[in-house]
Amino acid sequence: MDRFISTLVDRSPPHALEHLQLVLIPVVIAFVIAFTVAVLLTRQRFVKYTDRVMTIFNMGQTIPPLAVIAVFFPFLGLGREPALFALTIYALLPIARNTLTGLKCVPGEVKEAARGMGMSEWEMLFRVEIPLSMPVVMAGVKISVVLTSGTAALGALVGGGGMGAVIFAGIDFFRPELIVAGTLIIAAIAIILDRILTVIDNLLTPPHMKT
Amino acid sequence: MIVLDKVDKVFPGTTIPAVNQVSFQVDEGNICVFVGPSGCGKTTILRMINRLVEPSGGDIYIKGKKVSDKGVNPDELRREIGYVIQQIGLMPHRTVEQNVSLVPYLLKWPEDKIKPRVKYLLEMVGLDPEEVSRKYPYQLSGGMMQRVGVARALAADPPIMLMDEPFGAVDPIVRGRLQEEFLRLQKEMKKTICFVTHDINEAIKMGDHIVIMNEGKLVQHGTPMEILSEPADGFVKDLVGTDREIKLLELTKSKEIVKRTDDIPSEVWEKDSFILAIDPVQRALETMMKKDTNIVGVRDETETIGTISWNDIKKLINKISGDQ
Repeated sequence: MDRFISTLVDRSPPHALEHLQLVLIPVVIAFVIAFTVAVLLTRQRFVKYTDRVMTIFNMGQTIPPLAVIAVFFPFLGLGREPALFALTIYALLPIARNTLTGLKCVPGEVKEAARGMGMSEWEMLFRVEIPLSMPVVMAGVKISVVLTSGTAALGALVGGGGMGAVIFAGIDFFRPELIVAGTLIIAAIAIILDRILTVIDNLLTPPHMKT
Repeated sequence: MIVLDKVDKVFPGTTIPAVNQVSFQVDEGNICVFVGPSGCGKTTILRMINRLVEPSGGDIYIKGKKVSDKGVNPDELRREIGYVIQQIGLMPHRTVEQNVSLVPYLLKWPEDKIKPRVKYLLEMVGLDPEEVSRKYPYQLSGGMMQRVGVARALAADPPIMLMDEPFGAVDPIVRGRLQEEFLRLQKEMKKTICFVTHDINEAIKMGDHIVIMNEGKLVQHGTPMEILSEPADGFVKDLVGTDREIKLLELTKSKEIVKRTDDIPSEVWEKDSFILAIDPVQRALETMMKKDTNIVGVRDETETIGTISWNDIKKLINKISGDQ
């Protein structure tokens, strides 16, 4: 028990911080890419590419992050950067898929009225489409965050650090308290980030439109 | 004010034109009602006027200016034209006040001009600004939403309004009330209005001018009186219904058939059977039945101006249905 607590209190915090970065940096980059691409895919000019692009995102989700690292090993080597790279690819799909769904679910009559009132395409996007799809987009971001929190543990295998380092140390040296502590902290990170995103979501969306 | 000149629309992937060689004119300050069955092209015409749909052929002019000119920005054009649709399409994430101020905002009106305008508009459509301004659309009843929809379309005081079944989504009682209130508003506003409906009764009630459409073609256009008394063909006759004589009685004002005379029969005085000159002829008929008489007196605001008898009404009906 003492060893468990000392693991939790003394050994974990620096790893937890690393882990947080392994989650936040990929999710933020994935958000910028996936959101932009999904918005473009709902524009008339680009609709025809939707299937092709989404297939790429689907692949990003299906291929195990370790395989991604293996493929890009010759270019990126080992360490933190390839871990961030693989996790970013892994985080793309839920955000892209939900943004696409969210934008498609904006009621047709609202868009019709907004266009009829004389909103330009940009005004429509920023004042109608994005705000109305925000709850669904945020749900996608939450899924990505939770997925990435768990998957980021694998980052340790390629020298990326994070809570994975603690867990794998536990496995290697038969120290169950390290495994339990690492798992608990990862779970805590996932839950806390999810809560924070919920608060942001609530600020962005009027109360009656929450999902 | 609004002129359509041989306008065609063939949607991509179809061969039958949705709108086929339609020409007509809407005069300034008039309500022109487009009526016809679903898919007859009436909504497409409306959407071509504000360029939500581009015509395949022909020209549309507003105040003598071609709307399809290269110099016309469709977004700016639409800001000058009020637009009301059946589904209303209020923005669910915005308050009533924000919804109504949409077009003034797009036109970059100063903030201190928008607020009082929204208050004025909400009052005008019969809503209490104090009560509804901060509410979201989901907190309103269907009738209130329609009113907000109308207020939003009127926000920047556009000279032209396009209304696509604007009162279609509410129950008949609320619809009747909204129609009457709108007609009262229109008396003051004198907007040029294009109004789409599939309900011939609504068309007769609202229209200064009616355009009847079928399968993309203009079948007949004219005043409600002309449509009812001289339907162009079987289709129009079916559309106006077998009770067109009754509808005409609703539509014709008593003063139009009153026999002007100072000699009012004593029966009228005894039974106190009087109607007003602005009442529809139907009222004369109702009064006759109620008072068990065949003649009624017609009063102006101040004095009695003449009589309408059962025979006068029969003559009117015979005149209408003379071709049957």
